[in-house]
Amino acid sequence: MDNDEVLRLEGVAKVYGEGSAALEVLHGIDILVTSGEFVGIVGASGSGKTTLMNIVGCLDRPTRGSYALNGEDVSRLDDDKLSLVRNRAIGFVFQSFNLIQQMTVLENVELPLFYSHTPKRERHERCRALIEAVGLSHRPGHYPTQLSGGECQRVAIARALVNEPALLLTDEPTGNLDSKNGEEVLKIFHDLHAEGRTILMVTHNPEIAQGLPRIIEMRDGEVRSDPGPGSGRLVAEALA
Amino acid sequence: MILGRMLEVFVLGVRNLLRNKLRSFLTMLGMIFGVASVIAMLSVGAGARHEILSRIQELGVRNVILNSVKPPEQIKPETTETQWKNKYGLTFEDADYIEAVLPTVERMLRVNKIRQRLWYGSKRLEASVLGVEPEYLEMFGLKAGRGRVFNELDARKKAKVCVIRRGLVRQLETVEDPLGMWLDIGDFPFQVIGILEDEAFRSHTRKALNIDAAAQEVYIPYSTSMRTLGTTTFIERSGSQEFTEVDLDQIVVTTRHQDEVLRTSQMLHAALGRLHDDVDYEVVVPLELLQQSEQTQKVFNLVMILIASISLLVGGIGIANIMLATITERTKEIGIRRALGARRRDIVIQFLTETTAIAAIGGLFGCLFGVLGILGIVQLTNWTAMIAPEYVLISLVISCSVGILFGIFPARRAAYMDPITALRYE
Repeated sequence: MDNDEVLRLEGVAKVYGEGSAALEVLHGIDILVTSGEFVGIVGASGSGKTTLMNIVGCLDRPTRGSYALNGEDVSRLDDDKLSLVRNRAIGFVFQSFNLIQQMTVLENVELPLFYSHTPKRERHERCRALIEAVGLSHRPGHYPTQLSGGECQRVAIARALVNEPALLLTDEPTGNLDSKNGEEVLKIFHDLHAEGRTILMVTHNPEIAQGLPRIIEMRDGEVRSDPGPGSGRLVAEALA
Repeated sequence: MILGRMLEVFVLGVRNLLRNKLRSFLTMLGMIFGVASVIAMLSVGAGARHEILSRIQELGVRNVILNSVKPPEQIKPETTETQWKNKYGLTFEDADYIEAVLPTVERMLRVNKIRQRLWYGSKRLEASVLGVEPEYLEMFGLKAGRGRVFNELDARKKAKVCVIRRGLVRQLETVEDPLGMWLDIGDFPFQVIGILEDEAFRSHTRKALNIDAAAQEVYIPYSTSMRTLGTTTFIERSGSQEFTEVDLDQIVVTTRHQDEVLRTSQMLHAALGRLHDDVDYEVVVPLELLQQSEQTQKVFNLVMILIASISLLVGGIGIANIMLATITERTKEIGIRRALGARRRDIVIQFLTETTAIAAIGGLFGCLFGVLGILGIVQLTNWTAMIAPEYVLISLVISCSVGILFGIFPARRAAYMDPITALRYE
């Protein structure tokens, strides 16, 4: 079971500010996610889910508690090592796509590989394959402004997958999309889950949340409900 | 691998610069002017140094030149006499003494000079006649353009031959070939055996060699001059006659080695100080001129460095300023790059590459404009400038340094942004 562990948060707390102005946003979060789970994190705004996502995404460090990703404690790493972890182990898909406007689809997808010092030829090959997988093989040379929102998000997904991350982290990936495109994107995530990827998705949308195998509900900086580790795996897999 | 990556980072930087061409160009202007002024000043400085050096080479680095000078306090006494005689300057005894006593002297050349009437047929001219050793002509590069200069043999025979300069040929206004013609100098007939080439002496050298720009001198062998014309110049003015006696107009002392020049000049000062009551001589040391000019050069260099630094500083501040604005604009991009795994140093390198590229391109244009500018200035003025291929390298080194120096602050600012805030920036 230990080998399957992807993410382990133990007593994670986050405090902003100091002294009397200190504000504790997270009050000791314990979450364990194992490999192959598709976990939704829901909660009202102000419940601390964004802060939690930042910590899980290694963009921020917990004030207290520990965070282990793939069995490695990352809660006390310095900025350089955190960058490395983000690069190697985490794939981000944001609500607003966050593509670099001045770079082509191919270049955007390549970016994580650029920072992992992958040789150019290998980069091209892997990226073309991924772009094809998300159904954009006809527009690798286009710029994000020339693409629809759904296409942009698919580019972002390709980019998130390019370094084969242990954890796919996504924050309202359908928030900026119309319902048709939103469904398509959501389907991609479900397909990825079916391939065995571990996904953490923050969402407001109860409809989307309903479709997820494991839902963690946050309120006021605490975990309100969590079906527990392993429940986010595919039913088929659980049966096997 | 590393080279390929550097190239990739560089291409990315240039692409980012090309995104906003006008802004990049305006940012570059500061560098262009800065580097152009550095290049212009370098070439003018090098030109000046070259000028001085060739001047000194014309006079000989190992030489010390003694000249007779008419002392200023020698004024005509209040007499009613219509004749009066005036003696000053270097004497034969000085020359003998120097030759006998100074250990560092390798060779000494005596020069005698008088103003004399010169007749050609019925045409009369006033001419400076210089009696010099054949070696003197060789030392100062006085060559015959036509005919020949006099040699050791002429000197030994005390031959009445002369070599004249072009200005005098013009002055004679003759249709005959001047080569081989006879001139009466004083009471003696001299045959013209050579006409000197136009030599491009600098005014400084002309002064040291006692020749004027009009180029009307006549050179005769020193030995001949001693036997025939003597050392007295006779000038007749309305009602009064003036005799000026100068034994030797000039003594050129050549030392054995350049290192001995300064010591020799000190000894000459001491010796002449003892032998003369008045300071009716001057000691010209080309090497000292070199040292003086090096002093001047130092001051010039300092001013140059200051001016160049200021323009480069302004250029650098321009770059830093624009980069800060660019970084604010590109906050989101920085956030994205950081989220995808760029380390702080990757961000620093990215922006430093941009500042360095903009500075380097500006530097190369600056180099080009500097060289063009200086060529223009040389056309319009009589300055000397030297242009060297290493200016391209110098420009690159300077501009890259400025780019890196002034890029560090904006680049670090970009790198130390909080990635979460940067990602949320719209």
